[in-house]
Amino acid sequence: MLALADVVKHYRDGDGGTVRALDGVSLNVASGELVALYGPSGSGKTTLLSIVAALFAPDRGEVRVDGRAVSGLTGKEAAGYRLRQVGYIPQAPGLMPGVPAVDNAALKLFDLRRSPREARREVAPLLHRLGLGERLKHRPEQLSAGERQRVAIARALAAGPKLVLADEPTGALDSVRSREVLQLLKELCDEQQVAMLLATHDPQAAAYADEAIALIDGQLVAHVPDVGAGLAGTR
Amino acid sequence: MRFSGLLHLYRVRLRSRLVQEALATIGIAAGVALVFAALIANASLTGSVQQLTSGIIGDARLQLISRGPAGIDERVVDTVARLDGVHAAAPIIEQRANVVGPTGRASVTLVGGDPGFAHLGGALVHNFTGASLARQRAFAIPAPMASRLGLGLYRQATIETGIGTSTLLLGAILQRDQIGPLVHSPVAIMPILAAQQITGMGGRVSRVYIQPAPGRDAAVRRELQPIAEAAGANVRSADSDIAVFNQAAYPTQQSTQMFAVLAAAVGFLFAACAVLLTVGQRRALATSLRTEGYVTRSIVWVLVFDALVLGTAGVALGLLLGDELSRHVFSGVPDYLATGFPLGDQRIVSASSIAIATAGGLVVACAAVLIPLVDIIAGPAARIPTELVPRWQHPAVAGAGAACLAFAGVIALVAPSWALVGLIALVLGLLLLLPVLVRAAGAALSVVVDRLRSPGAALASWQLKSAPGALLAIALTATGALAVFAAVAIGGARGDLVRGLNGSGADVDRNADVWVTFRGGTSAFAVTPFNVTRRQLAGLRSTDGIAGVGLYRGSWLDLGNRRTWVQAPPAGAPAPVPPSQLRAGGLAAATSGLRAGGAVVLSEAVADQQHVGVGDTITLPTPRPTRMRVAGISTNLGWASGAIIMNAADYARAWDDAKPSAMQLRLRPGASPTAVAAAVRASLGEASALDVQTQAQRLALHRDATRQGLIRLSQITVLVLISAMLAMAVAMIGVIWQRRASIARLKVDGIGTGELWRSLLIESTVLLGSGALAGAATGLLGQLLLSRALEAITGFPVVYVTALPIAVGILGLVTVVAVAIIALPGWAATRVAPAAPTAS
Repeated sequence: MLALADVVKHYRDGDGGTVRALDGVSLNVASGELVALYGPSGSGKTTLLSIVAALFAPDRGEVRVDGRAVSGLTGKEAAGYRLRQVGYIPQAPGLMPGVPAVDNAALKLFDLRRSPREARREVAPLLHRLGLGERLKHRPEQLSAGERQRVAIARALAAGPKLVLADEPTGALDSVRSREVLQLLKELCDEQQVAMLLATHDPQAAAYADEAIALIDGQLVAHVPDVGAGLAGTR
Repeated sequence: MRFSGLLHLYRVRLRSRLVQEALATIGIAAGVALVFAALIANASLTGSVQQLTSGIIGDARLQLISRGPAGIDERVVDTVARLDGVHAAAPIIEQRANVVGPTGRASVTLVGGDPGFAHLGGALVHNFTGASLARQRAFAIPAPMASRLGLGLYRQATIETGIGTSTLLLGAILQRDQIGPLVHSPVAIMPILAAQQITGMGGRVSRVYIQPAPGRDAAVRRELQPIAEAAGANVRSADSDIAVFNQAAYPTQQSTQMFAVLAAAVGFLFAACAVLLTVGQRRALATSLRTEGYVTRSIVWVLVFDALVLGTAGVALGLLLGDELSRHVFSGVPDYLATGFPLGDQRIVSASSIAIATAGGLVVACAAVLIPLVDIIAGPAARIPTELVPRWQHPAVAGAGAACLAFAGVIALVAPSWALVGLIALVLGLLLLLPVLVRAAGAALSVVVDRLRSPGAALASWQLKSAPGALLAIALTATGALAVFAAVAIGGARGDLVRGLNGSGADVDRNADVWVTFRGGTSAFAVTPFNVTRRQLAGLRSTDGIAGVGLYRGSWLDLGNRRTWVQAPPAGAPAPVPPSQLRAGGLAAATSGLRAGGAVVLSEAVADQQHVGVGDTITLPTPRPTRMRVAGISTNLGWASGAIIMNAADYARAWDDAKPSAMQLRLRPGASPTAVAAAVRASLGEASALDVQTQAQRLALHRDATRQGLIRLSQITVLVLISAMLAMAVAMIGVIWQRRASIARLKVDGIGTGELWRSLLIESTVLLGSGALAGAATGLLGQLLLSRALEAITGFPVVYVTALPIAVGILGLVTVVAVAIIALPGWAATRVAPAAPTAS
């Protein structure tokens, strides 16, 4: 489903030096597979997800999603790609303040030409599934941090993406809420056969993955299949 | 907290909020500029009369002023000078005249002074009244006028007066270093002897200025009284013209002040909108400072310092802008006032104008910075709210707003003289209802959105309902609403006034097919008397096409501090009483009374002041005091101080002066007014000081005079509208610009740039349009109140017609222009690169 081949992304830092955010990353993620990409802050995880989401292009290398190269998409094509094929769960939910949870979650469906009524009807089961059935009309200001993050997850999944990119989705949550969210992502991944790339620096998150990969200083240093297997038993 | 600490904290935070601070500074500057320019305009109008008056009277404290244009016997000067307690007495000739140069003609107040003015020391006159010059046939004018007329020193120039034209030497060009700001006054100064010769006032003077010995004012005034009665003059304080002028300029000043207040409210709302853009940052700062253990006083100091820097920058820029505005936009003076008073076009920037504008700017900056933070500053540290949720959408607030509107409606219907109170209630009601209106607009859009498949509309609807934006939305809507309200109410009332004034002028103009008046600035009022010989009259009567010639007489008559306009049409005039202007007394009875003689029609304000009504008698303080019966009550015929109508024969007796101030020519059926006017012009000769106008030309002259007289109102309306459009657009742009992070987040979810742009435009249109709509709707009620107020308070003729086309036009214009201004920056904002929010 997702294939990265020798992806390179370098930045200039403030002192004129070069930061090698991604340095020849190659990776494959199949449908229904949850891959955890873990590593410390600044290791290049967010850069990798952003390139896969076509938020910006790599300096070199190729990213293919469902066989389609996404690195060279125009702005309009990239928007359509993210709208239809990708669900992006950011570190912070970034919901629209004052807007009910159900509308926040249904946002992508509006751009897919559903009427608000249709969109709300379509996204409601997902919100119920995420434990927000009683909170559909609550505004973000009235939700807890975990609830807000679940609304963001619902938004990412609402349009039925083939690929979900989750950037530290549990970073702002306590351990109980983190486990709930991770469990949910894993279940959705299995049920909907979604390819999921989960960036995290939390070993517990990696434990929910089918495969865990460490990204250090822009390079995939090791495939760590035993991390997930080893920790899976703790679930 | 030390000052250096405050400064450092301000400096380090400035870089990240430079754009918002710049917008806020511009907002405050716009408010200050509007207020400052309006204050300068008002101060200049009154100040120019004050300057000219003091430039003439010098140290004089009393005056004898002739009751009519023919003046008083000059021998009275010696009588006055010999009175015990009189230190100095100096006569003056004061007449309307035109100075003609190679490149133009200027309407001036001709002032003839005598050597006695050397004792009084008035800056304008004493320079040109030396004994050595007393017998010179020369005159002086200020340098800007000389330049405008193409006149050089010691060149011959023509001066037109009521008795004809004269050629005099331009003996002096008065520079600013000689006469100060009076250099802008429309005056021509000459020795009194020359003035008497060219105005036909040999042996007569217009006024005698008197400087009593210290402490003898009251005694001298008592002694002057019988002398004045015998001479046909009034005893007044030397500067009484200022009070008379203030009375005449009252409607102009009031309307300008009212506009200034509305302009200030709009400008300061603009400022508040702009400052509100920075509320988020300041709340974060205040929260952070509290968390770090700052005491309330230190936080307040930090914020007050912010406000003072912002306010000072805004005020400085605003004063500069306001100064420019007053130079280039508000620079003219109303011609209709210049007819009765010697008005200059000097700009007077008073310390009080600067102080009011400065204080206003600083107060708004402090209020806008501090009020949204009251909860943080005053609340307990443990319960700092994370965001500002306005409480103004409470039903009680809307209820109070509705009550205010109802109150205004009741006043409009049953108590028009309380109309100004009604206007205040209306504005208050409008502002109180806006929070509910913003919510209703959001709800209405939601209903529409539910039937559409437009993500742009859905996003717009959400933004309108979003709490953090509500405060700014209300401020933005209030700005638009108030501006449109002001523009519709004042524009509508102005239209009503124009219709009334034009109607009043037309009633008078229709009394003749062709008019002959003294050329120049007083032509529209026909108040400058001129000589006409029997031969000239006979010549006119025998001109082809002329059926009859009527002699019209008119001038000013001071009643207390009212300089009333006297109209004295010939008894044979078709409508000596303007039919549309009569307010009390039957038209037929008033007309026949006037034709028969011994009767007058008074305007309402004059009748009220004199406590007389229809059927009563009144003794007018004319040169020959005359007892007359009141045959009717009229509007003020467009002259704020009031008007008196009598027949021309009565006027000649009361003023002891048979000179006409206009000739009304009635034509034979089929005769062409244009052809007859051309023939009359030819018979009068090129050099004549008289102007010949057809009825159509005179109607156009009155329409022009009306338009020019109300120009300040039009200018301020336009400025308020422009400011409002810019205010709303700039504030909305600021809001949109701040939203780029959330736009970037939406783009991560694949929402397209086009949809985001559409949502911004829909949101802007609904927000600004709903404010403008509320303003337009209440503006129509405001127009009714304002027209009623103008009619009741000033006595102006007003013809009320609902200004629906104006309201619709302004509503559309403001909304479309503001949204058009927003479109480009909105598009730029939606071009932001997609970016996911981070946990930090």
